Amino acid sequence: MALLSFLDREKSLAQPGFSRWLVPPAALAIHLSIGQAYAFSVFKIPLTQLLGVGKSLPEDWKQTQIAWIFSLAIVILGLSAATFGKWLEGAGPRKAMFASAVCFALGFYISYLGVLGHQLWLLYVGYGVVGGTGLGLGYISPVSTLIKWFPDRPGLATGMAIMGFGGGAMIGSPLAIKLMAYFRTPTDIGVGKTFLVMGTLYFVFMMFGVFTVRVPREGWQPEGWTPAAKQSAMITSRNVEVNAAFATPQFWLLWVVLCTNVTAGIGIIEQASPMIQELFKGSIGPIAAGGFVGLLSLFNMGGRFFWSSVSDYMGRKPTYFIFFALAALLYFFLPQTGANHLNNVKLFVAIAAVLLSMYGGGFATIPAYLRDMFGTHHVSAIHGRLLTAWSTAGVLGPVLVNYMREYQLRHGADKASAYQGVLHVMAGLLVVGFIANLLVRPVAEKHWLAERNA
Amino acid sequence: MSESSNKSSAALILFAWLLVGLPLGWGVYNTLLSSMKLFQAPAAAATLPAK
Repeated sequence: MALLSFLDREKSLAQPGFSRWLVPPAALAIHLSIGQAYAFSVFKIPLTQLLGVGKSLPEDWKQTQIAWIFSLAIVILGLSAATFGKWLEGAGPRKAMFASAVCFALGFYISYLGVLGHQLWLLYVGYGVVGGTGLGLGYISPVSTLIKWFPDRPGLATGMAIMGFGGGAMIGSPLAIKLMAYFRTPTDIGVGKTFLVMGTLYFVFMMFGVFTVRVPREGWQPEGWTPAAKQSAMITSRNVEVNAAFATPQFWLLWVVLCTNVTAGIGIIEQASPMIQELFKGSIGPIAAGGFVGLLSLFNMGGRFFWSSVSDYMGRKPTYFIFFALAALLYFFLPQTGANHLNNVKLFVAIAAVLLSMYGGGFATIPAYLRDMFGTHHVSAIHGRLLTAWSTAGVLGPVLVNYMREYQLRHGADKASAYQGVLHVMAGLLVVGFIANLLVRPVAEKHWLAERNA
Repeated sequence: MSESSNKSSAALILFAWLLVGLPLGWGVYNTLLSSMKLFQAPAAAATLPAK
């Protein structure tokens, strides 16, 4: 369509003199928007009071029904990233960002109709499926572009964008609360109009990313930078096609690396508020626990930038070694800080904060690890497929935590002690991740793309 | 067009960073305010030795 030709890859080629420092804000505009998904829980209670306005009527939706909207969105995120990654490499970041913005906004609009007609399936289709597709497209859209603009600091570049996904919830949560309060009337809880406004605001904000992003011209390099003459064997100068990468042991080892790291992190995130209250019964109440959750999200976001930047100097493999070795020890030790043992809240909070920084760091460093292994050519597509590890962990983490805890409680453990077993299993999972990382070797020559295609 | 005439201006770069930095800063500020509640917890009870 001629009207949309500005989205073509050729139209987004950077002119000489274009500053690469405009690309991270473009990527952040996308990630800060789609990161709203992690703040969806602020709608949970209002969505159960649509008919009762302030109280739940029997005909109102139940929280368990609402919970599926977010779960669906995250599963679709992984699937759409895996499915559309290869298309994105050809279509370019601008078209992918635009498609992401359209899907994400459309998800809100369809959900608005669902609220208006009290049709839950419209929220599943809207926010869950259509919005989730936007999440997946948006998440991977700037990755390979950033890596191409920052060959000297790929970890820093992708870390900045993926930090945005962590920060998105911090914007989305207070924004939604303020909008719902503004639109609330005695007959309307204000969720529907909030969906409409948020869809529009995010669409406009994402358009800034769409119009600002540029792809570097063939052969472009940062001024004054030359690739190191002798590079580490763990950083390839060649490229691997996405389907070929999918068949390598390196892809699946990194899949395990991401999956174990995320599963362990979710073990804390999922239970953060009840965990601190039950480990320190009597000294930490629900309000302080809410503060703890906020603190964790700050470290989750900061860790994304910090660890991915550090990995540019230390190397990706050593960075993940730190994550797995240190985190396994800390998970093992964490229950000892509880009231039954050391009774040290500050130590508990400090350890949990470090753990969450490494959880975020694991997310943000993986694109650069993929680039080191498989080159830049199909890195977004490969990253997209790797994100199925996230979807898997999103199911595995909560299931492991909840079922193990229930099992221990049924067998007579008290609430505080029941965390010990769960956290020790998480430590064990991290040992699996450590071994997977240990086994990562450079990709065999037979998988490389011929130089002319690369 | 020459390279210098197409050079991205510092003002444009600053504007771009402010556009994403301000909402992020607002979000971080709100989260910091919320996390302060953790440190307002009754400290005496939290540091008592286990019995």
